[in-house]
Amino acid sequence: MNALVLVARREISTRIRTKAFIVSLLVTVLLVGAAAFAPKVFDGPDEYTVGTVNAQRLPLEAAAPDITFSWKAFPDEAAAKKALLDGEADAVLVGDAKVLTDGKINQELGVLLQSTNREVKLGASGVRIEPLRIESVGADTRYQAARTGIAVVLVLVLFMLLIGQATMVAMGVVEEKGSRIVEILLSSIRPWQLLGGKIVGLGALGLVNLVAILAVGVGASVGSGLATDFPPGMPGIVAGVVVWFVLGYAFFATLAAMLASLVSRQEEVGNVLSPLTMLIMITYFVAFYVTSEPTGTLATVMSMIPPFSSMVMPVRMAAAEVPLWEVGLAFALMAGAVVAVLSLGAKVYERAVLRTGARVRLGDVLRAK
Amino acid sequence: MLEISELRKRFAGGPGAPEGKLALDGIGFAVRPGEMFGFVGANGAGKTTTMRIVMGVLQADSGSVSWQGRPLTYEDRRRFGYMPEERGLYQKMRVAEQIEYFGRLHGLSGARAAEATSALIERLGLGERRDDAVEGLSLGNQQRVQLAVALVHDPEVLILDEPFSGLDPLAVDTLATALQERCRGGVPVIFSSHQLDLVERLCDSVGIVSSGRMVASGTVAGLRAAEGGTLRVVVRDPAPGWAEGLPGELNAEDGRQVLLVDAAGDDQEILRRAMKAGHVEHFGVEQPTLTEIFKEAVA
Repeated sequence: MNALVLVARREISTRIRTKAFIVSLLVTVLLVGAAAFAPKVFDGPDEYTVGTVNAQRLPLEAAAPDITFSWKAFPDEAAAKKALLDGEADAVLVGDAKVLTDGKINQELGVLLQSTNREVKLGASGVRIEPLRIESVGADTRYQAARTGIAVVLVLVLFMLLIGQATMVAMGVVEEKGSRIVEILLSSIRPWQLLGGKIVGLGALGLVNLVAILAVGVGASVGSGLATDFPPGMPGIVAGVVVWFVLGYAFFATLAAMLASLVSRQEEVGNVLSPLTMLIMITYFVAFYVTSEPTGTLATVMSMIPPFSSMVMPVRMAAAEVPLWEVGLAFALMAGAVVAVLSLGAKVYERAVLRTGARVRLGDVLRAK
Repeated sequence: MLEISELRKRFAGGPGAPEGKLALDGIGFAVRPGEMFGFVGANGAGKTTTMRIVMGVLQADSGSVSWQGRPLTYEDRRRFGYMPEERGLYQKMRVAEQIEYFGRLHGLSGARAAEATSALIERLGLGERRDDAVEGLSLGNQQRVQLAVALVHDPEVLILDEPFSGLDPLAVDTLATALQERCRGGVPVIFSSHQLDLVERLCDSVGIVSSGRMVASGTVAGLRAAEGGTLRVVVRDPAPGWAEGLPGELNAEDGRQVLLVDAAGDDQEILRRAMKAGHVEHFGVEQPTLTEIFKEAVA
């Protein structure tokens, strides 16, 4: 079997059984699941229990089709009051001129009751009012809230995965260099096989994480009913995220491996990675800003420039409609950048990884023959 | 045959030492199949640098390494077994899993790697540690795993940097026996060590390196012969002045006189004089130990 595949398999099999991997996967999955249910909790109820005492039901369902109403008939006001105080009903219609409630009535329910009541009474006296026709002069913003929500979650997930996996690649490189395992490895396999196997293996683990998060996120959204607010084209958005993650990961992980090959001790990893960490942070901040301004100039420009595009473009795609040619161009540019970084990273890694001891200077490595 | 010839290597200097350090100054030697070659020398003499160059981990400035008459290639090295000076194992990986992994990297099939691993684990007495993580093993056991990693692919050549350092006598025996087995199977073995008695006991030939040059090499017997022995003559109650005119040094030891002289001289004449002077208690040539040869060579 190819040495690269063997290396990748070792990375996967030794990490997948660690507690750290399983715990972090469970925690992220739980967080994403919770995020899918959060709007339901924070937006207040979209179902009301309305009681009646000697009263006709008002056509609330027709007025607000998104909201579920359950009706309860009470024999008298005393029973209704008890149910209200026990929280078993949100409001009780008494006769055709009174509503009982516990404290202040929910604003939405109050408005609905008043307006349907007016409509029924007016209708009974023969008056018909045309409902106001609503016409948007801007973009279709029906899904805006959901889009922004998805984009925010995506930024966080991509950022965590990219920085986490890139750091893991760096630590792995230094582990092998510092312990001189690399001397044994490189007397039996080529540097590119070792580097490539590590990047591919840890990338596969990152993908497992990402796919689990996406699956749980989409699944939980369907479960919580949040998915009904999702914009059309969700499968495309999800697939795009996976592709952009792969590109971004290849870029940042290669840089991480390259920088890590310059040092020999784990304590030096943080230091040598700091320019890369900074770059990922900047990408993250830009992408986060784009979630609130997905159609602005900054969003358009940054979603084209590698490596920012790896996080900004998927966010932009989730938060707004993006012309296909822009996606294609950004993809081509990013793929080009990945190829460039791979060839540079492999060269530096090959030259630096056997030079144990003091930190190797990047300039020295690039200048050497 | 593995031939190392005229290797030179200068390490780049820092701001304090612009000249750098000359690590190898034309070192050369050859190891035949089935020969165990002991590589000795003071710290910093160039042993590790030589081995790293042979393994392709380091590039020489000049000189060559050839195997079976051709320049050594990457493909050849894949069939070598190597144990670096600083031990390199994945601390979190299990013993068997690790040995198997390295076997596969050297090109063994899954089944063959598993088979070779089991045999080595048995051979090196690691049976109970098979599924333990390496980080939990004693130094001696880690060293056994390290050796197993070097042996798993049935190497054609073994290059071992300080394989015995820090081991107890029992572990030394286990490792030494394992190496001797391979050696008898026709594998050239090169190992470096500071334990000269061990080198003397195990090796067919020895190379003494100093300041990047091979200052003495050959079989242990050959080196001894070249060095020459010391003739030790002990005479009880000799007549005073019996040794006058004889070479060597004369010491008195409670009623006896001990003459130490280069064995290359006329020993028969010395024996005649000694017998005339008194009662000869001891007359014999003492071979220098490898330690003495070493001290002499690097002096």
